[in-house]
This record gives sequence, C-alpha cells and structure tokens, in this order.
Amino acid sequence: MTTISIAPPVRATGTSRVLANARLIVANPWTTLTLPWIILGVIFVANWCIWWLIARNAGPGVIENATQGMAWSGAGFYLFVYMMVVAIQAVNSSFPLALGWGSTRRDFSLGAALVWIGLSLVYATGFTVLGVIEEATNGWGLGGVMFTAIYFGDGPWYVRFLVCVGLLLFFFFVGSALAAAYVRWKANGLYVFFALLGLFLIGAAAVLTLTGNWPWLGSGIADLGVAGLVAWSLPVSAIAGLIGWALLRRATPRN
Amino acid sequence: MTSTATAPPSTAAIQARGLSRHYGRVRAVDDVSFAIPTGTICGLLGRNGAGKSTVMQLVTGQEFPSSGEVLLDGEHPVENARVLSRVAFIKESQKYPDDFRPKHVLAAAPSFFEHWDADFAARLVDEFRLPVNTRIKKLSRGQLSSIGVIVGLAARAPITLLDEPYLGLDAVARQLFYDTLLADYAAHPRTILLSTHLIDEVADLLEHVLVIDDGRIIIDAAADDLRGRAMTVVGREGEVEAFVRGRTVLHRDRLGSIASVTVDDVTAADRAAATAAGLELGAVSLQQLIVRSTTVDDSTGTAA
Repeated sequence: MTTISIAPPVRATGTSRVLANARLIVANPWTTLTLPWIILGVIFVANWCIWWLIARNAGPGVIENATQGMAWSGAGFYLFVYMMVVAIQAVNSSFPLALGWGSTRRDFSLGAALVWIGLSLVYATGFTVLGVIEEATNGWGLGGVMFTAIYFGDGPWYVRFLVCVGLLLFFFFVGSALAAAYVRWKANGLYVFFALLGLFLIGAAAVLTLTGNWPWLGSGIADLGVAGLVAWSLPVSAIAGLIGWALLRRATPRN
Repeated sequence: MTSTATAPPSTAAIQARGLSRHYGRVRAVDDVSFAIPTGTICGLLGRNGAGKSTVMQLVTGQEFPSSGEVLLDGEHPVENARVLSRVAFIKESQKYPDDFRPKHVLAAAPSFFEHWDADFAARLVDEFRLPVNTRIKKLSRGQLSSIGVIVGLAARAPITLLDEPYLGLDAVARQLFYDTLLADYAAHPRTILLSTHLIDEVADLLEHVLVIDDGRIIIDAAADDLRGRAMTVVGREGEVEAFVRGRTVLHRDRLGSIASVTVDDVTAADRAAATAAGLELGAVSLQQLIVRSTTVDDSTGTAA
C-alpha cells in the first residue's frame, strides 16, 4: 500500500502538456515508426526483384528505357496515404482520450502538429538518404527507381528532401482536418466537407472553362514545377492545420 | 458571468449554476445547480439517459453549456489548462487507439498527471490482472474497464470524475475497486465524482449524493442524511393511511388489508409516533430511496 504522500513535481507547464499529447500519439511507435519502414522494405524488395527480372531478360539498351518509365514509379506513394491514416486515427481516437486526461484542445492540436512535423522530417530524411543511395548505386545496381521518382522533382537531393517534407505535411494536416470534421460533426461533417470541396472544384473548372484559362493553369503548373507546387502546398497545409484546430475547439468527444 | 475572478472565495471543487445543455428540444441537462466541496466523494446517481454523462462532460469542459455555468476551483473549465491539468475524467465507454495495448495507455498517461504514482499503477495492474501486452481490441469488457479504473486511481488527480467506470468488471474486481478507491482517497484526499447506477454497492463510499432524473437534480444531500431520510411504514391500511396523510409518499404496496408505504423526509419524532401507533417501520436503502424517487409515480404497481 502506497500511503506515503508524493511530493508534487514541478508544476505542469504548457510545453510539458503539449509534449504529453505528442507522446500519446506516438505511444505505440510500432505504428508510427516501425511498420511503415517494414512495408516500405517489402515494397522495395518486390520492386528490386522486378528490376532484376527486367535486367536479366532484357538487353542493356532496354534498361535505359525502363528506367525512364520507372521515374513514374508510385511505389513510395503508399507512405503518404499511410501517414494520412495515422493522422486521422490520432485525431479520432487520441483526442477523446487526451481530453479525458485533462488536456485542452489547444494542447492536443499543438502536440499533434509537433508529431506531424517530426514524422515528416524523419521520413523525408529517410527518403532522401535512400534517394541518394539510389542515385549513387545507379538504381540499386539495376537501374531501378523508387526514391527518386518524378513526383519528388528532378532537382538535387535537398530539393527532394524539401518536396518530401512538404508532401508529408500536406497529408498529415489534411488528414487531421478531415478527422476533426468527423469528430465535430460525425459523418455529416464529412458529407458537408466533400460536398463543399466538390462544389469548389466544379466551380473552379467552370471558371477556367468559361474564361478559357485552362492553358494558363497548365502552363502555370508546368512553370512552377514540382518544387514550386509543393511550396504552394505549405500554406494549404498550414490552413488545414488551422481549420483542424478551429473544428476541434468546439468539438465534444462522443462514443 | 464569464469573469474568472470569482468574488467570494469558494471551497467548492465543482460548482454548477443554472447549468443547462439542450440538444434541440431534448433537455439533457436542465437548469442544474449544485456545489461539491473540495475533498469529498460525491455520487452522481440516476437512470440511464438521465443526464449523468452530460453533466460530467460539462464539468470537464468537453461539452458546452446552453446556458448557466460550471466552475472548477472557481474557474471555467473550457480550454482552461490551469484547472483541466488537475482533472481526470474516466469513462466506461472510453475508446482507445486501435493499435494500442494497455502498456501504451499506461506509458502515455503519466505525463498528463502531475501526481501519477507508477508503483501504485503497477500494483493495480497486478491486482486487476490486466494483461498489459494484449491488443486493446482483444480485451474483455471488464479488462477494458480496468484500464480506465487503473488510470483514474493512479492519476491521483485532485478532481477525479469516474463515469460508470466498472462496467463488465466482476463482483470481485468491483469490490477491489471500491476498497482501493476508499483507501487511496483516505491517504490522498481529493474530490471524486462517481456516476453509477449500482447504488447500493457504492452507498457506503459516498459522502454526498446528487440524484439526476430527466436532466434535473432531484436530490442533493449528504449521504448520511439520506440514509435515515425515508422509511417504510407497514400496518393495517387505515392506520397506515392515517399516519402518512400529508407526507411525501414515495411508494405504496398493498397486500389484502396490509399496506406498506414508503414516505420521505422522516424525522425522529415521526418514527416515535409511528411506533406508538403500533406501525412497523422498515429501513429504506439509498437505492430504494432513489428508485422510488426517480420512478414515475404509480401508487399500486411495483416500480422498476
């Protein structure tokens, strides 16, 4: 029986409350840090086998062609979707738990943002290192492409790193904003969200069609390039983060 | 009304003033006022859907009042880290992340609670036989409840709210919970608000009782006052009816010419008078009192 009275430790500070929330979201590192790399490893091995088969059965000239095609490899894309799911799960199930444990919605949102930024840096670093190896080994010895796919731009490694960080942040924060809409209004929140998104896209398409501005959009995107597009995604991610927080501020966890 | 500078220094850990929460036409909580003094164990009793959980969500700032206000240590709880960091709110229906095992809950919880006692938590894990390495999804109802109970006790939060925390726990585990709660409360006084419908089981724990029915507080009294408050008078129908005339009748039973009537607000003088009139007196348990008070009055039938 523990009857000794424990001396109160240092008063919980704002920082420590934010960190407590961050710790809650990554309490099971298997989900956020281990499993994604394992899946990535399996995908890599499968791809490597395919590259090997191609290299074995085709002549050297064909490989060059194949490598060009592989620039469009979506093998690494699952990671971004996975992280979006991580964000959705965290807001949907960790948020009610954190509130029960005396957290404010603000501290939870900040803790989650901290985790999203941290995980984005971790995975972007991993992708960049693997991309550098991929280049140095001439496609893992087989002309394969996975971590230097066209979606990360054709610039040097640090541009790829920034593109990767930007993409991850986008998926994390859009995922948390979606989950916040769900926590706030349940399924109705998502219906409204997607209805508004649909209306916005149709409206934008209509404006572009009526004003004959599709070529302008196309050339604009081409001019921006991947890095430019991702740079534009940063404010979008930031807005998604703010929307997520605004939704959670008036949200009541329900079971 | 929203000023945080409360004029009179109040000793109430939890105070509600005209607190309401309406969902459209549903008055989940309707103009409720009460004060729970610091350092008491208070029971929040009532039927399912009476408004117990909504009151607790309002108290912890999870739900927003439609009108009125609730104060924790004199401050509004909504988004108020200063008071919320002293609060633990454990729900029976608590969801946990799908990929969690109990050990992840127990690893994440301590950083939320200043007074967390890790040794105490470890001891409770043993006593409740909680398998810490099993996936939460695979736990039984009772094991799931025990996670909440362990966190709620080991957190030692100065304001602890337990919303039906033991659903699915077997009788042994429930008794263990009551005993541990009482012992730990004695060693580490704090304010505990416990909602339950297993009234007789917790009756001895409670110092104060709030009974909520249909969104309204119908009883707000010290548990000791409630224990002797009602009595059942048994005797010949005519004599019993003569005695109970003008009193608050909670329940009536008849068997032939014998009547058994439960009356509220009984004084010592009433008891003496009833005995003198040759009537038999029966004790009314807290549970009976509350069942009688919260059942739609039917003077003949046996209430739920």
